[in-house]
Amino acid sequence: MEMFKPATLKERKIYYKEEWNIKQVPDFIEESIENREFGFDHFGRGPNDRYKVFTEPDYLKRFMKSKTPFAAYCSVAYYEKPRKRDGWMKSELVFDVDAKDIPVRTCSCSNVCEICLDQAKEIVSRLIDTIKGDLSLKDIHLVYSGRGYHIRVLDKDVMKMDSDVRSQVLKYLVGADVPKDRYDDGEVIYRLEHFSIPFGYPEVFTERIKYAVLHLTEDSKLDDVNKKLLKDVLKYRKLLEDDEWGSFKKEIGPIRYKKVVSSIASLNMGLVDAKVTIDLKRILRLPSSLHSKVSMRCTEVKNIETFDPFEDAVPKFVRERKE
Amino acid sequence: MIQMSFINPLSDEGKQTVREDGGDLSRIFDENTALIDIINSIKSQEISDDKYIPKNYVDLVIKRVEWYVNKKSDPEYNIKQYAFLFNPKITKFDVIAFYILCQAVGIKFGPNSRESRAIVEIEGQIIENRLEELSSSQRTEITRQIMNNLLIQDRIKWTSLADLISSKKINLQDLVLKEGYVILDLEDFMEYFGNEIEHRQPEKMYNLFIGNRIKELIIIKMIMQNTENYIKRVHEKAGREIEPNSTLLKIADEVSEVLSKEMRYYGGGSGGGNIKASPLNVDMLPPCIKTALKGIKSGGRNEVIVLFLTPFLSYARLYPSVFSKNTSLKVSDIDSDLKITKNEILPMIHDAADRCNPPLFDDQPQEKVNINAKLGFGMHDKLNPQHEGKTTWYTPMSCEKVKMNMPGLCKPDDLCKGIGNPLSYYTRKMRKK
Repeated sequence: MEMFKPATLKERKIYYKEEWNIKQVPDFIEESIENREFGFDHFGRGPNDRYKVFTEPDYLKRFMKSKTPFAAYCSVAYYEKPRKRDGWMKSELVFDVDAKDIPVRTCSCSNVCEICLDQAKEIVSRLIDTIKGDLSLKDIHLVYSGRGYHIRVLDKDVMKMDSDVRSQVLKYLVGADVPKDRYDDGEVIYRLEHFSIPFGYPEVFTERIKYAVLHLTEDSKLDDVNKKLLKDVLKYRKLLEDDEWGSFKKEIGPIRYKKVVSSIASLNMGLVDAKVTIDLKRILRLPSSLHSKVSMRCTEVKNIETFDPFEDAVPKFVRERKE
Repeated sequence: MIQMSFINPLSDEGKQTVREDGGDLSRIFDENTALIDIINSIKSQEISDDKYIPKNYVDLVIKRVEWYVNKKSDPEYNIKQYAFLFNPKITKFDVIAFYILCQAVGIKFGPNSRESRAIVEIEGQIIENRLEELSSSQRTEITRQIMNNLLIQDRIKWTSLADLISSKKINLQDLVLKEGYVILDLEDFMEYFGNEIEHRQPEKMYNLFIGNRIKELIIIKMIMQNTENYIKRVHEKAGREIEPNSTLLKIADEVSEVLSKEMRYYGGGSGGGNIKASPLNVDMLPPCIKTALKGIKSGGRNEVIVLFLTPFLSYARLYPSVFSKNTSLKVSDIDSDLKITKNEILPMIHDAADRCNPPLFDDQPQEKVNINAKLGFGMHDKLNPQHEGKTTWYTPMSCEKVKMNMPGLCKPDDLCKGIGNPLSYYTRKMRKK
């Protein structure tokens, strides 16, 4: 089976005419179809056919079947007048994890492969844990985009939030800032490292740093971390598997430890595409549509534990391709 | 001891004050010697002119609003003229004034009006200033009392603090969250984290992490929310009455009149603030803008030129005080014949676009139209006053957004610390010049 090869026009036609079904469009989109803007890329040059509106799923069905687009998108925003992108009502809160952009990758592929897609799934799973735990948000939908995952949150408490709040949520989730280490009770200043605080943001941050350190490779590039320091981190990282942070810091040295942590914190911003999260009018790949560049189906993930993109997101025409 | 109703007029104590007063609206215009005596006894109060001293409840209502408007927009504003507002001695009178104000605005304008929004904002600012005037121990104690009182009624979800997070008054990372709730109460903290904390006393950790500042911001926010709810209830109740109280309607009109003064202070972009429209001084530009002006050699050219540089250069040249003025203007409000825009601003933007590699307009000539759109002139290839308003004149992007969208551009220098927007960097440096 030839994976990740672009779909031909003929394959696209086969997909939309024989395999695609309007029922595969998730309910959370279908229910609000008349308030969303749709966009299409017909020639593989970006979504330049925008401001499309479908008042009923049947009209979308007809469009997809007849146009067989290279890519289909729909807005995360709900509008009173979606045709003009006017009268913004609210937007989903979105986190886009693209396997090819993961900052610390364990594979060395140039596009995406099974290893980095697996890694993306692991990252997404951790992000969802924090979204459900600390933030306690509901109505979370996970979509496999073809090259990564979209976490789409439709909790009514967040859908009207502005970009500034969304950006803070993002930074909280990915562990983008090193937590302060000085705390003042009005009389004495205490120094506390993030790993000694078992709650709140420092706990999330510690978990993200641990994940990154355990996934570093000899080829990883970290700002301000030279080869020697990287080598030492790799040498002693086993300590973190047992959460022996104090010993790890001691082995690395406190100043060098700080460098590693700061560098990973800034890399963490790359775990999620921040532009997507803060953009209230973004269009995202339509679940059920074909990602023609890699010939995979963008699809809603019902169970992240059992979801396997190579089983659940490969269109029939790919399986039938001749070697 | 500070009374709880000095900070929270909606507390049971505040409601009791109103009940004891009897709520006789016919007396609220009467001269109130007790109030006048108290104000005259406040040492820091300016009493050189009779007009600085409220004589009755209605005066006190108006003074609350006037303080807010003048503080925000009157260059001659003098805090000493309003010192009484922040002195606990006036608590009893102030509580009555608060209720009169909310009822007047609630009845006449309803909860979604400009006036109601302003009243809620005023309450928040008054509380903030009152807390600042207290001694450290008084402040901690009253905050603790009010917090305990408010938390009996409600637990707080982090999502209800969105506007505090958005305005950066609270950083989400500074909140201790559990299952969506902000942990503020010691008992909750102990229940959730007491057993997790090793080598340190959990109570100590609570004091370190659930700081007074966060508690203060949250009680302010909660009282503001309760004020809004109260105005809403007043409005709903008034809707069921045949004829609204004429005294309250009259007060509401006066409040509205004072608030509209705020708008009159605003106006042409070249005046009013410390920094006026003037030719751009390139030495004063922040590092990110200097980098952008040199042209972008890698990806993201259009974002840098169209979304970042265009709003910055146009506002820095024409309306540098946009954030302090807080009022939207059009380019032509300042540059009526568009000469400055055409001869100074656009050439700088186009030069920066040409310095990109590859030059931006070589492969994306449509971006010229997008630049005009970001200046507010719609999607047209020429700046035409008739098209103005078809799109919005984009305000300069915050540092936060620059870091997110164009991470390579942000190489902060010393002055960047504590700055939230590149335009503030420019205005601050110009002011120091």
